[in-house]
Formats: sequence, C-alpha cells, structure tokens
Amino acid sequence: MNIDSVYAISEDVVAHEIEGQLIIVPVTSNVGDMEDELYSLNETGRGVWDRLDGKTSLRDLITQLSEEYEASFQEIEADVFGLMKELLKRKFLVEIPS
Amino acid sequence: MHKSYIRRTPLPEAPIWQKLAGRKGRLLAMNLEVTARCNNNCRHCYINVPANNQDAKKKELSFEKIKDIADQACSLETLWCLITGGEPLLRNDFEEIYIYLKKKGLLVSVFTNATLLKQSHIDIFKKWPPRNIEVSVYGVTEKTYEKVTRKPGSFKAFMRGLNLLLDSGIPVDLKAMAIRSNIEELEQIALFCKKKSKSPFRFDPLLHLRFDGDRKRNQEIMSERLTPEEIAVLDRQDYLRFSAMKKECDNPANKVVTDNEKSFLFNCGTGLDECTIGPDGKFRLCSSLLHPDCVFDLNKGSLAEALRKFVPVVRNMRSDSSEFLESCRKCPIVNLCYWCPAHAHLETGKLDSRVQYFCEVARLRARSLEEQKVRRSEGRRTEDGDQRTEDRGQKVRK
Repeated sequence: MNIDSVYAISEDVVAHEIEGQLIIVPVTSNVGDMEDELYSLNETGRGVWDRLDGKTSLRDLITQLSEEYEASFQEIEADVFGLMKELLKRKFLVEIPS
Repeated sequence: MHKSYIRRTPLPEAPIWQKLAGRKGRLLAMNLEVTARCNNNCRHCYINVPANNQDAKKKELSFEKIKDIADQACSLETLWCLITGGEPLLRNDFEEIYIYLKKKGLLVSVFTNATLLKQSHIDIFKKWPPRNIEVSVYGVTEKTYEKVTRKPGSFKAFMRGLNLLLDSGIPVDLKAMAIRSNIEELEQIALFCKKKSKSPFRFDPLLHLRFDGDRKRNQEIMSERLTPEEIAVLDRQDYLRFSAMKKECDNPANKVVTDNEKSFLFNCGTGLDECTIGPDGKFRLCSSLLHPDCVFDLNKGSLAEALRKFVPVVRNMRSDSSEFLESCRKCPIVNLCYWCPAHAHLETGKLDSRVQYFCEVARLRARSLEEQKVRRSEGRRTEDGDQRTEDRGQKVRK
C-alpha cells in the first residue's frame, strides 16, 4: 500500500446507509469472509470510506481527515493504514491505476 | 480515534435489526412472489396454478417492474428480500431477477421445490451467494413425495436438485408441511432434513386455504389437515417447538390490550417492517392478508405510498363484531392459536370471525402446556419428598 495510491470501493460490495449507520454487504463470493455476517464501520472508518472515491489519494485523504479531526498527519495515517489493510484484506476496495 | 475499524456481526445478531424493527414507513424485508405457477400440483398448496397457465403468466410482474420495485425498496432501506412463488425457477428470467437483487446489495433468500435446479443456477448461487435457499421436503420416498406433489418424476428431480445444492456447499434450509398424505413419513422426513442440513428442522401443520378461494381445492386442503389432536401430539414430541410455544404463551406483550385498542383488528406487527408483493404487483402487509381492503396495487402507486399512507389505514381497521370482541380479542390463549385477521379471512371471508378448527388446536395446546406444568410440579414434589426423607436419614445416622 502506497500513500500516493488511489482506491475506490469495489463493485462486489454495496454499502447501505441505514439509520445513519453504514452497513457493508458483500454481494459476490470474491469478497468478505464468506460468512453470514454484516460489516459496519466506526466513525473513523466512515470518514475514510466516504472519501474512497477513486480520485483522492491516501495522502490527500489523510490531510483532509487530520484537518477535520485536528490531529497530526502521523496519527491519522496510522489509523487510515490500519483500516485500509482490513478493507483490502476483504477485497472491499480496488486500486485505481495511476 | 478508535483502533477497531470494522465491526463484523453475525447476521441474526446485527444491532441494526433492533434499530430497524417497528419503524414506521420503513421496509426491512420484502417477500417477492414472482409467480403463482408451479410445476408441482401439491394437494395442500394455497397458491399454485399450473406451470403452463398463460393467463397467470401474462399477469406476472415484468422484470422491468420488479427492478423498479427493488429500487424503491432499497430507497426505503430494505435489506432483505425473499424470492418465492409458486415456483420461482419457472420464470425464464429468474437468474436476471436474482442477480439484479443481489447487485442492489440485498440479502436474498429463495424458496424453491428444487426440482428445476440446474448447474447454471448453482454457478450463479456460488458467484452471488444467497442468504439461504429454503427447500420443502414433501416426502423421502418416491411414493409419499409424489402422493403430495401429484407429479410423476418429481421425487427424482427433487433429489437431483437438492444434491446439486448440497454438493456445492450453498446454505440450504429444509422444511416440511405436516399433512395427511405424508404424516406417516414425518419422522423419516425430520431425520432426512436433520442429516442433510445444519439448520434446525421446521415443520408446519397449518395449511392455509387457497388465496384464489377455489372451493374444490379448499376441500382438498381441508382433507389434508391433521386433526387438532394430531397437531397437539406433534407439538409435544418436538421439544424445541413445545418450548417456543410455552415461551410465546407466557409473553405478556401479546396479552395486554387497552380498552382503546381492543377493537383494533390487527394486534400484530403486520406491515410495520415487512411486506409481500404478489405476482401481479399487489402489495400485502403480510403473505396471508388478501382481503381486498388490505391490498395496494403497485401498478397504481409507489411502495412509499403503500407503506406511509396505506399501511396505517389498514392497521387502524376496527371491528365491532361482538363475536370478535368477546372471543378472539379476549382469548387468553390466542398466542397458541393460528387465528389472525388474515387467516380468519381465508377461512371465513371475514377478518373478524372465529375459526373453530383453530380454537380446538389452541385449546389442546393449552391443555398440553398445563399438563406439563402439573407433571413438573408433581416431579418437584416427589424430589422434595425424597430429599426430606434423605435429610431425616442423615440426622438419624448422625
């Protein structure tokens, strides 16, 4: 994972916003853990998910979040990378070639 | 900032269900009856018309209309959709419908008799996994199965289809109807289902009368019904079923009705977060509620209108029938009864009539629970007596 990479949400998942909560439903067998589970994100995760638009690099995304949360770039970077690892492991994201 | 980023929750335990339950104007789940046609001709079926019935086929919702309804449902925050029928696999566009619903991010279940399953269906289910597939088991021998379905060759087709599903690892729930034509085999059916599927075996002895009101078919269905005594015995033999019944009977929420509420017909959750869409696009608050005053045509109005304007009107329906107010509404064992306005309408043509058969089943169920209570308290008394004797013995020995 590179900080200048750009990611988009995979077409193999659909995110529903229900009662203000983001619920991620895997729709094909390529993604998720193939178990009978729903996925939801915490507030941090939600802030990242909403910016995974296939245009914004991780660097820009972290900059935006560090301004919004008034936290250091390094602090936000660690959280974003942690979340990205989880999302990529489950194939919820695709990398957009530069 | 928190360190746990993604929350994984087993589907049945997801907190979102509690958040969503009972919200007005939202639709958690939708049952989509894509056809009333079926390739079987089951003796007990409330909906089936022959597979080649062109009139029924013409009335079915088009794929375009189904897509439109699914889009509307998703905008109302629907999460779950059941594709059912008739036999949904009879539709030539079943695969397109299924994939469209999956691509919308819905959790999709399918009810099927499994006889028409092909490898192409399995390939799709493997790529786009269903929430579950529910298959009805009418018998475990050719003789019994086809006595129920009245379709030669259907048992072999069922076994082939079921094995295709099981061999591919797709989640399958097996269930049965307990009817006159298969009652002798019910025990073997239960064993078969428990062996083939991880899900708990479920059976249902309640046979609905026909949605189309066909009198001849209704006679057949009534002749397939088990007697209240037979149903009570089946209930007692099934520990999980009996425990669930006892819990339901003890649930005070279903008993408390204020003076203002007592004339309301609907004392259940019908239409609050779930609906059924018939093959012709008619919206129903629940699967069995077919009274003309309780259906809304989605060819003439939207799903949002149905939920927000029509459902409250139906739920506000009241009855001034003394028969209803003095019997079913006051009945202390209504939780053990099949009675509800929808079933009453199917049985009698009225939403607020008593149904003698249901009363008898409920009475025998209540008696079984009472007998169990007495047996338990006698058992406790015997144990207490034994303990007191033992205590006295110990004192003497000391």
